Amino acid sequence: MNDMRIAERDVETNESKISARKVQVYYGTNHALKDVDVDILDKTVTAFIGPSGCGKSTFLRCLNRMNDTVASARVEGTIKLDGENIYDAKVDPVQLRAKVGMVFQKPNPFPKSIYDNIAYGPKIHGLTRSKSELDGIVETSLKKAALWNEVKDRLDSPGTGLSGGQQQRLCIARAIATQPEVLLMDEPCSALDPIATAQVEELIDELRSQFSVVIVTHSMQQAARVSQRTAFFHLGNLVEYGETGQIFTNPKDPRTESYITGRIG
Amino acid sequence: MTDATANASARRTGSLLVPDARTRRRNAAEARFKIYGLAATLVGMVALVMLLISIFSSGTGAFFQTFLHIPVTLDAAVLDKSGNRDPAEMQKVTTIGYAKVLNASLQKVLDDKGMAVAGLTDKDVADMISKEAPAQIRNMVLANPALIGQTVDMTILANGRIDGYFKGRVSMESAQLDKNVSPRQLELADKMRAAGMLTTDFNWGFLTSGDSSDQRPESAGLGVAIIGSLYMMIVVLVLSLPIGVAASIYLEEFAPKNRWTDLIEVNIANLAAVPSIVFGILGLAVFINFAGLPQSAPIVGGLVLTLMTLPRIIIPARAALKAVPPSIRDAALGVGASKMQSVFDHVLPLAAPGILTGMIIGLAQALGETAPLLLIGMVAFVREFPGAPPQGFFDPASALPVQVYNWTQRSDPAFVERASGAVIVLLVFLLIMNAVAIILRRRFERRW
Repeated sequence: MNDMRIAERDVETNESKISARKVQVYYGTNHALKDVDVDILDKTVTAFIGPSGCGKSTFLRCLNRMNDTVASARVEGTIKLDGENIYDAKVDPVQLRAKVGMVFQKPNPFPKSIYDNIAYGPKIHGLTRSKSELDGIVETSLKKAALWNEVKDRLDSPGTGLSGGQQQRLCIARAIATQPEVLLMDEPCSALDPIATAQVEELIDELRSQFSVVIVTHSMQQAARVSQRTAFFHLGNLVEYGETGQIFTNPKDPRTESYITGRIG
Repeated sequence: MTDATANASARRTGSLLVPDARTRRRNAAEARFKIYGLAATLVGMVALVMLLISIFSSGTGAFFQTFLHIPVTLDAAVLDKSGNRDPAEMQKVTTIGYAKVLNASLQKVLDDKGMAVAGLTDKDVADMISKEAPAQIRNMVLANPALIGQTVDMTILANGRIDGYFKGRVSMESAQLDKNVSPRQLELADKMRAAGMLTTDFNWGFLTSGDSSDQRPESAGLGVAIIGSLYMMIVVLVLSLPIGVAASIYLEEFAPKNRWTDLIEVNIANLAAVPSIVFGILGLAVFINFAGLPQSAPIVGGLVLTLMTLPRIIIPARAALKAVPPSIRDAALGVGASKMQSVFDHVLPLAAPGILTGMIIGLAQALGETAPLLLIGMVAFVREFPGAPPQGFFDPASALPVQVYNWTQRSDPAFVERASGAVIVLLVFLLIMNAVAIILRRRFERRW
């Protein structure tokens, strides 16, 4: 079974990039996430798997405080990025999100040109001093996202005119243009066909050399293919977290085993 | 037996080529509904067409007017007795003096051409000229004293009844019962028309001059009303666009969702439904009685209309903001944009067409609003043009819909024609505004 091939690349570092302790999330009175403790390693792809509604996307959105935009959401516990608590009152989420980029489930390019889509982030963060520098960032971001060759002749055409897979890669390029340290991906391939999915997965593997990537996915094959570490969430609890190979071949928790063998979910 | 097969006995039988009774009933219901819908649409169309026909048939006459073309001898002995062309001296000669000159000139022309009609007195002939004409000549002479002593070819307004005769409003039969005009005058008018002295031309005065009294409908125009409406629209635009857009952005994007914002939302929806005359009473109490602003002034009218228009702008603007997909906000926040950057760089441009459309429709409603203006004194008879802005905002002025209301109340039937003409002007302005709304919408949407 080629699909179940498990990423054989070793974890290159044991340095923790993000460490979460006792994270609780409430939506109103609904306790959506309970006591989550996770250490996400630097320059590693970490996959969050679990059935729908298990809290994996919720936890992902905690990592760059996108849950702040949900009026009823309340987060407790600590999440540290490089040792600094991102839920500290002094933290400006805008600065945090420049360091922790995000790619969403549905491709959501801005209704602007391809160039402006990429250039927007660097512009608002003041990363460039000149037009040529900005051009450089746009080009390298699109190259990293493996989109450059397809769009280099039409950077002025609308980003919304691209195909679904191209749009998602455009969103990835947009996210990496701000040069984040962590890239969060919320089911980035759920709206894509297998070919586009393969392209994005290849891309994720390449991005690992520069960023810590966290990916939420419903496809266990995808988790197995791209990640070095996997966390299994169930009913708001983090059930098991460990090396991807170990989770898929030798799960410690019976719930993990039931899920990956298809008995719950 | 599972549930899926439990109803097998109810399975339909028969050929697909023959519709069964139930299908026929459903098809008949659909056909009936289509007929109702078509009928409803037709009723609306017929009503609209009838409205337009009635307005245009009675209103187009206002754009044409009967003019008298005669050489007028500006007699120095009457108009400038001292003979030194001193403007202060000349101011003393009233329109009565000019009427004398004018009547003498007309009489002379008629005598020369041998067009006299038996039984017509000099006064009867003089009455065929508009009472406004002497004032026109007086203004012309005061502006250019060198004309005195010369004989000048002039185009002056004919009396409203003579005008009505050529437009079919006055007939020989009606003239017999009318003490303002006699059949003999009409007979003379026919002769003058045949001689080319009376012509019916496009009436620019209808668009450029001010209102006139009951006695002289021929010179009544919409100039003051158009300027007044324009000034009010400027006030409404300048105030309600920033306030309305800022309020809707705040309420939609920034305000916490709690009991207070719910209360505000309900109140805005209610305010949009408040009868406009209530805003008139508010304006009278607050802007005129309390703040001491002048009556009949475009600034007060503009303020009142702003209050009335604001909720009508905020509601569509909020709807336009709400219609922007949340994924765009997520995308902006995701790359580290602040809330304000995400709103102004991404959400607002996408909502702009909807906001602009709401804005222009709100303005169009304000343009056609009459009731609140009645209460703040804009119904007054205003002849003088308001000054240039900004002082002009505080001068008395009229407004288009109020002018319509005003003219429909006058007794002379010539004003009915003018009121319909004013409605046409109002409709043209509304059409222009709606066209602008559509063009702006197209242009902004084309950007994506």
